[in-house]
Amino acid sequence: MFEWLFNGKKLRENGVLGMNDRNYSVIAKYNKRSLYTLVDDKVKTKRLANSININTPKMIGIIEFQYQVKNLLDIVKGYDTFVIKPAHGSGGKGVLVIKKYDAKHFYSASGDVLSFKDVYQHVSNTLSGLFSLGGKYDVALIEEAVNFSDVFKNFSYHGVPDVRVIVYKGFPAMVMMRLATKESGGRANLHQGAVGVGLDVSTGLPLNAVMHNKPIFEHPDTKANLMDLRVPFWREHLIIGSLAYDMTGLGYLGADIVLDENRGPMMLEVNARPGLAIQIANGKGLKTRLQEIDEKYPLGLSAEERVDFVLNQGK
Amino acid sequence: MKLNLTRFFTIRKVLSLLLICAVGYAAYSIYYKVKYWGFSLSPKAVTDVWTVDAKISFRALGGDVKVSLAVPNDRDGFKILSEEIVAKGYKITQDKINSRVVLEGKDKEGKQNLYYRLSIYDDAQNVALNSLLAAKIDRPILSEEETIQMRKIWELSELQKGDKIQKAILAINQEVNNPTMSLILPLNHTAKEFAEKVIQVLAYKRIPARIARTIKLEEGRKTEKPDIMLEAYYDGHWTLYDLNTAKIGLPKNWVIIQRGGVSLLDVKGGEDSTVVFSVLKSVASPLKMAEHRAKAHDELWSYNYSMYTLPVFEQNTLKWLMIFPLAILVVVIMRNVIGVSTMGTFTPMLLAMALVRTGFWPGLICFSVMIALGLVMRALVAKLNLLLVPRISFVVIFVILLIQVLTVVGYRLNYTIVSSAIFFPIIITAWIIERASITWEEEGAVNTLKEILFTFITAVVTYFVISNEYVRHVMFAFNELNLVILFVVMLLGTYTGYRVTELMRFAPLIHKEN
Repeated sequence: MFEWLFNGKKLRENGVLGMNDRNYSVIAKYNKRSLYTLVDDKVKTKRLANSININTPKMIGIIEFQYQVKNLLDIVKGYDTFVIKPAHGSGGKGVLVIKKYDAKHFYSASGDVLSFKDVYQHVSNTLSGLFSLGGKYDVALIEEAVNFSDVFKNFSYHGVPDVRVIVYKGFPAMVMMRLATKESGGRANLHQGAVGVGLDVSTGLPLNAVMHNKPIFEHPDTKANLMDLRVPFWREHLIIGSLAYDMTGLGYLGADIVLDENRGPMMLEVNARPGLAIQIANGKGLKTRLQEIDEKYPLGLSAEERVDFVLNQGK
Repeated sequence: MKLNLTRFFTIRKVLSLLLICAVGYAAYSIYYKVKYWGFSLSPKAVTDVWTVDAKISFRALGGDVKVSLAVPNDRDGFKILSEEIVAKGYKITQDKINSRVVLEGKDKEGKQNLYYRLSIYDDAQNVALNSLLAAKIDRPILSEEETIQMRKIWELSELQKGDKIQKAILAINQEVNNPTMSLILPLNHTAKEFAEKVIQVLAYKRIPARIARTIKLEEGRKTEKPDIMLEAYYDGHWTLYDLNTAKIGLPKNWVIIQRGGVSLLDVKGGEDSTVVFSVLKSVASPLKMAEHRAKAHDELWSYNYSMYTLPVFEQNTLKWLMIFPLAILVVVIMRNVIGVSTMGTFTPMLLAMALVRTGFWPGLICFSVMIALGLVMRALVAKLNLLLVPRISFVVIFVILLIQVLTVVGYRLNYTIVSSAIFFPIIITAWIIERASITWEEEGAVNTLKEILFTFITAVVTYFVISNEYVRHVMFAFNELNLVILFVVMLLGTYTGYRVTELMRFAPLIHKEN
């Protein structure tokens, strides 16, 4: 029952990165604290991304002060669908996707019918810091909704499937796709019961899939074979991740990317301290991979050259 | 990463070095405090403080009176805490050289009662060997028969065990009722006469010896006659012997009052003089005695700048604070080495602190009830969609009112479980409720209960560490240990090994690659 207590040596041999090691040897070393503000604020991140041609959902407007809340309808004029996001939120907290609205009601993506009052309340809560880290005053970001590509329709239950790329020193190091399930309530958070599928960084092919840390082979709700998962525009996904490094200067980051039917891969957010569950999804230790990049990968390449270097490793 | 490893190494090296320094310093401090201040590692250690009262009574004859009493001195093992003389109308002089107290009065008449009171502590048991040179003595002048008996005694002494003097004492004790020895050892004798005989026997071999008057320290003891023992100068120093058993040295809890042939009490200008000794025992904690001990060792300076000289209130506050670093260490270990996630970094620590005051079960039950009630209330309020700050304020005020109601009801109905509510930190309680209710909404009941459970477990572990009487005593009496904790915590800040929970979390990665 307690044999797992003796796993330490084997985990080390397999190059698994622990939380302490990540914080001490990687994040504290390569992520300067002053850079965090670039990724903590989604408005800032978006502007920065657009300045170097990273595709992101188009910003419709922002609401900064409580008195602006009632202007919501003016701001979204001309858009059928939109998303309200807290600029300082994390893990999808406080994200409200409006599919359509009429004179009386808003209809959310999760199927709720909301009154105007409800939506104003949501924005108001966002401003007062309900969803932000540490409860600080926040800004509500209103952006275009993503037209999710159909290619993942069979692999996700409601919600948004996204690709998480771990980028180390500008090189895509490890990738997984996160698929929402019934249990995760349409969210792509692994600890809430979403499925994580590890993807080979150079080929994009599925390596392994887990749910609640346990290997699975088919999606629990759609029953799709997870090994059949294919991600189109693989190179473009990786380039977004690689560019995120150029954009932020964070040596270790996680870029969350979604696929839009019309506009291709788009970056949703950058995480300065991405979690370690990606190792379980890939069935591989991250430390081995980071060491490989430290020791063998060349310096001074552009984002595209770095991605091509990584892609060539698979050939 | 290889390059960086060398840098880590030096940080760790420096911290390890500092840790070793801190350990060294703490070790020295502990030694110092135990040795010079008499601190003990055990909270239960007490110091016996003996009070010896000498009541001198006599009848003054109407003229000048001079009373001289032999008193113990601090060369004899015990340390003197205080000396007090109650003698109204008398001039008091202390004769340190001869260890006597001299009281002089003028025109005294009638019954006089004078008091001398001495408080002593720290029995060193064996009186330090006194190597003051003894004067040469002459052999006693004996008749022929006496000489024969004397030789006989010394012959018999060869059959006894021990050093020369012990042998003599044992032989004398054996022969004391033998009529053939009556010239040397008279049959009927007082303890003092017996001692004098022994001195005479030793003098025959030119061994200087003298009487020592001692008192056994025994709660409630009262005596007019101190016990008589013998000191003999042999092998270059004075040694104390028991006259009956010939044992060497002063037994535990005995005090020497006077040495040599001089009288215990001299009263000039009075008659019917008596001195009654009575003994009382009291105990004091080593912390209280530290000042006297430091003074006795001439280490008062360092003591004056320690926290033990502060007023009691400040001391108690510091005593409470001194346990914090250890509690913090427990939290650091629980989080970074074990890897449990808790609500708020130091919430479990503050919870544990509250448990120390309320008692374990009452506190735990009361707190659980408070959290549960708070969560219910918070769930009702969630529907109102209040703004953040007013909402948290609501929870804080609710908790305050809850504490008030529980405390009053608990007090009235005499349920300590309920009334212990008052000891829980309000903000922490409110924060746990708020945090739990948000987690509940966002991540479900299971995750919330898990987080609360881990917070409780960490608090309980911390509680058991800091509620231990020994731990608390040691952390206060030897507070330098907090410096050790400081560097241990810093070193843990460079710990990059797996957390215990990660061993389980990453278990799937083991079967994969092999």
